[in-house]
Amino acid sequence: MALSGMRGLSVFISDVRNCQNKEQERLRVDKELGNIRTRFKNEKGLTPYEKKKYVWKMLYIHMLGYDVDFGHMEAVSLISAPKYPEKQVGYIVTSCLLNENHDFLRLAINTVRNDIVGRNETFQCLALTLVGNIGGREFAESLAPDVQKLLISSSCRPLVRKKAALCLLRLFRKNPDVMNVDSWSDRMAQLLDERDLGVVTSSMSLLVALVSNNHEEYWNCLPKCVKVLERLARNQDVPQEYTYYGIPSPWLQVKTMRALQYFPTIEDPDTRRSLFEVLQRILMGTDVVKNVNKNNASHAVLFEALALVMHLDAEKEMMSQCVALLGKFIAVREPNIRYLGLENMTRMLMVTDVQDIIKRHQAQIITSLKDPDISIRRRALDLLYGMCDVSNAKDIVEELLQYLSTAEFVMREELSLKIAILAEKFAPDLSWYVDVVLQLIDKAGDFVSDDIWFRVVQFVTNNEDLQPYAALKAREYLDKPAIHETMVKVSAYVLGEYSHLLARRPGCSPKEIFSIIHEKLPTVTTSTIPILLSTYAKILMHTQPPDLELQNQIWAIFRKYEGCIDVEIQQRAVEYLELSKKGAALMDILAEMPKFPERQSSLIKKAEETEADTADQSAIKWRAQQQNSNALIVTDQHPANGTPPISQLGPVKVPSRSNVDCDSADQREAQSNGTLTVVDPQPPSTSSPDLLGDLLSPLAIEGPQPAENQSDHNLGAGVKGDTIGEDALALAPIEEQMNTVQPIGSIAERFHALCLKDSGVLYEDPNIQIGTKAEWRAHHGRLILFLGNKNTSPLASVQAIILSPSHLRTELSLVPETIPPRAQVQCPLEVVNLRPSRDVAVLDFSYKFGTHLVNVKLRLPAVLNKFFQPITVSAEEFFPQWRSLSGPPLKLQEVVRGVRPMPLLEMANLFNSFQLIVCPGLDPNTNNLVASTTFYSESTRAMLCLVRIETDPADRTQLRMTVASGDPTLTFELKEFIKEQLVSIPTAPQAAAPPVPPQPQPTSPPPPSSDPGALLAGLL
Amino acid sequence: MIKGVILMNDKGKPRLVKFYDYHPAEKQQELIRRLYAVLSSRAENVSNFVKVDSLFGSDARLVYKTYATLHILFIFDSSENELAMLDLMQVFVETMDKCFSNVRELDIVFNFNKVHAILDEIILGGQVLETSSSEVVKAVEEISKMERAANSIMAVPSITGWQSR
Repeated sequence: MALSGMRGLSVFISDVRNCQNKEQERLRVDKELGNIRTRFKNEKGLTPYEKKKYVWKMLYIHMLGYDVDFGHMEAVSLISAPKYPEKQVGYIVTSCLLNENHDFLRLAINTVRNDIVGRNETFQCLALTLVGNIGGREFAESLAPDVQKLLISSSCRPLVRKKAALCLLRLFRKNPDVMNVDSWSDRMAQLLDERDLGVVTSSMSLLVALVSNNHEEYWNCLPKCVKVLERLARNQDVPQEYTYYGIPSPWLQVKTMRALQYFPTIEDPDTRRSLFEVLQRILMGTDVVKNVNKNNASHAVLFEALALVMHLDAEKEMMSQCVALLGKFIAVREPNIRYLGLENMTRMLMVTDVQDIIKRHQAQIITSLKDPDISIRRRALDLLYGMCDVSNAKDIVEELLQYLSTAEFVMREELSLKIAILAEKFAPDLSWYVDVVLQLIDKAGDFVSDDIWFRVVQFVTNNEDLQPYAALKAREYLDKPAIHETMVKVSAYVLGEYSHLLARRPGCSPKEIFSIIHEKLPTVTTSTIPILLSTYAKILMHTQPPDLELQNQIWAIFRKYEGCIDVEIQQRAVEYLELSKKGAALMDILAEMPKFPERQSSLIKKAEETEADTADQSAIKWRAQQQNSNALIVTDQHPANGTPPISQLGPVKVPSRSNVDCDSADQREAQSNGTLTVVDPQPPSTSSPDLLGDLLSPLAIEGPQPAENQSDHNLGAGVKGDTIGEDALALAPIEEQMNTVQPIGSIAERFHALCLKDSGVLYEDPNIQIGTKAEWRAHHGRLILFLGNKNTSPLASVQAIILSPSHLRTELSLVPETIPPRAQVQCPLEVVNLRPSRDVAVLDFSYKFGTHLVNVKLRLPAVLNKFFQPITVSAEEFFPQWRSLSGPPLKLQEVVRGVRPMPLLEMANLFNSFQLIVCPGLDPNTNNLVASTTFYSESTRAMLCLVRIETDPADRTQLRMTVASGDPTLTFELKEFIKEQLVSIPTAPQAAAPPVPPQPQPTSPPPPSSDPGALLAGLL
Repeated sequence: MIKGVILMNDKGKPRLVKFYDYHPAEKQQELIRRLYAVLSSRAENVSNFVKVDSLFGSDARLVYKTYATLHILFIFDSSENELAMLDLMQVFVETMDKCFSNVRELDIVFNFNKVHAILDEIILGGQVLETSSSEVVKAVEEISKMERAANSIMAVPSITGWQSR
């Protein structure tokens, strides 16, 4: 090939290789570049062969990292050389050196086009490769039709056609308009029928690109993909060269299964069945073998099959089988398989119902944390993080804490954050949470962001039971010889507030506490000193009657810092010194910190925000995004900045402040807003917009027991309110504050989503989350309400009453009156469907948070379609039934106008989602749909329902529907139900279901006999 | 999509660099250096996979394999299957092996242009073009025929014996 004649190039490469160091290399390369430059400048004497040689040299030099921009033009000009060797070099080097925006490339566009439309196949190949690699928008516009022609031409060789397919893919990515969709979906389907597997492989990649952009237009390719897969899985017509280590084109199998994952579902039962047969065969028939390459190939196929099974939401049995396989993989010797096993198990978590089976492998997954491969350890960490819940949090978090000591530095920050989030989310009790975070700070203080220790302070402040425990723990850590500065901060803060609760224990007298904290002062930075000063002031305040010796000691420290260059330290020192001379009045001014307003963890909140954005997406994507969002937290950390923590933990400031102080406070306020995320609707106990506001407001001065003082708040603020603006909010009347408990997410949307699926969130606000999970059997239903308290304080006066319509018999188990902090209670609700009706049961739910009563009325997703069971009927069953139900009231017909326009396919999906299963092929007219289901109620028992929809392709806003069943009420209710679904937009908020008289009312006018649909109806 | 294919030796010297996303020359060098750092930190007998999102953006993965003194690296995104990438790498290596009869690092150093031509028959625009190494060899042989036809005037001996295969 090219090299056979280029001695000069070999010599040059050899010279470069012989260079002893980078400097020598540079000299040699510079010399060569100079040579090339001169030769290019003086082109007359340059033979095509020499030009080719220099252009190759340039590519080599470019690879070594030197600038060869000057020669771009020469490379491009070789494209138009008449002979193959020069042309080839031009094409290859140009596509390595240039990008689509390069001006020189535009110069070549005509030559490239000539090569593509010309008859020389080798030239075609070169040109297609260039365009496929670096072609831009301009290429797309001018070349797409020609490339399309090559792809579908039967006279072209496969070698050209497969390149055309990938070239077209590039052009499509650059400009999606180049694919005229209408005609292409058929062409695409034909391409998948090709015999040559090379062409099919490239076409499959093209299909993936097209389908990922718009799956609806390529629906017709779905059965073809399944056929391709069957062809390969059964090894039919697979030539030897496409058999890789005995496996029929594993790569094409993988790509085909990938393509199938871009279609949301597979409707056609036959296609689905065939596909599952293939998948089952792959899942069962793959063994670990000795040959590495064969093993890789067969497992590539297997893992893709697993992904497809997850996507298709297979039967639970098959899913369990998949988890079992993955469980086997994570324990094998081959590290690649272990890695992929863990990764896929993490994806598996998104499939409902299998989490429990995954948990059985917990021990093995924990072992993977000790794997020699960091890639595998990371996957294990992701998986443990994903599978953690209340039941296993203790085990998992403890393992992660242990792992923290040995983990690489690069993983520690992520690990610390994950531990903190899990500890908070799933703490079985709060003292455990405190233990975990303190251990975390102890083991990996450098990696613990401020968010984490602020959060533990909030928990301790808000839970009186926890305070002595936290103080004791903090005291214990101070005994350690060397502790991290963050630990000094937390301990000093906690002991300043609560050390008096320990007073009777040995080593916990104010003096001892002071001296052990003060020991740390020389070791800390300026950001910690203000916290220590506050702690000293607090200790002094708690020492009543005053201990003169201690007082003198502390005053001496304050005096020492009065002249400190750091403004924050200086100010505190001055103020504390003055304040502490006020004697007993100090008690009021330096009182214990009030409770923080309930707020979501800034860590978790970020994770949940992403959740809200993706509510519509599939579970798999949702989880993936959630995981991303956690990664986002890691990268989004604010650098530890001395100022914000000080402002939060700062002592109460007297209302009369100097101007300087005001300014710095404002500044701090801004910063603290940036650091802590505290913007949810505020629960009632405080109403200041942010943390700093809470601490600066006179409320804090009021006294240590906010709960007791609740009624005094308004009074107190009223007296002093005019001094500080923020307090205006504290005066808000209670009614107004009630409104501040806003639901998170749309209640109506949540309800509608739950009408289509059986588990999910019914309601959420800042305090509570109500989830449901339902199982339906014939006319019985069991719906479990999950009431989760999101707060760190209990929810009281919890009440749930079911207002059930007459057709439902409901029984709700006992709902506890109080939900403990961060706990979830489950309340099963039994439902029996007595007769067909569209009325909806309502859950009247209320709870008290602080002094505020929150009441919501929620529709329960025990709706008509929950009592359907899918059934597919054949033509032999359908027609006799349809005929025997001859007219009103058992068979009703109505022309519905104002229908939300939608493609027939979407309508079919909608019907299927309600368990009204569309039976394709029963109606000869493709504009019509026929669907059937079985309805269960106590009065009707199992009752077959048949539906026919005739649409008008010219006017999608109207259709005629005919509904038939053996029960007049059912027929009517079902007809109205379908009408509601078609006319309304399901996500639009609706009032509770309007009362509907249960007796049937045949309202449809007799169909005009001229209607062509009527003739068909006669046939059916 | 495959984002790039890199061949480098065990000292981090690039032997073949092909990116399917454009990166300016300095960026390419930086990426090569950092990839080499990643490879150097990998122990033996570990998996062939590393996530490289910090280098190539979210979702980017690296599959690598070491053949004697040569590392082969494929960088790609989540639309590709990791093990299938490993298969493809094997196809690439087997093809080179057929073309150079027992390929060694030196063959690649002195025939980097030929390796480019081989790679262009396997991957196009970051998509897999051909997975059958015998098909690739056929295509490469065709190219070399064209070359020889044009070069027949110059009788310069070939460096390797690949033409005989």
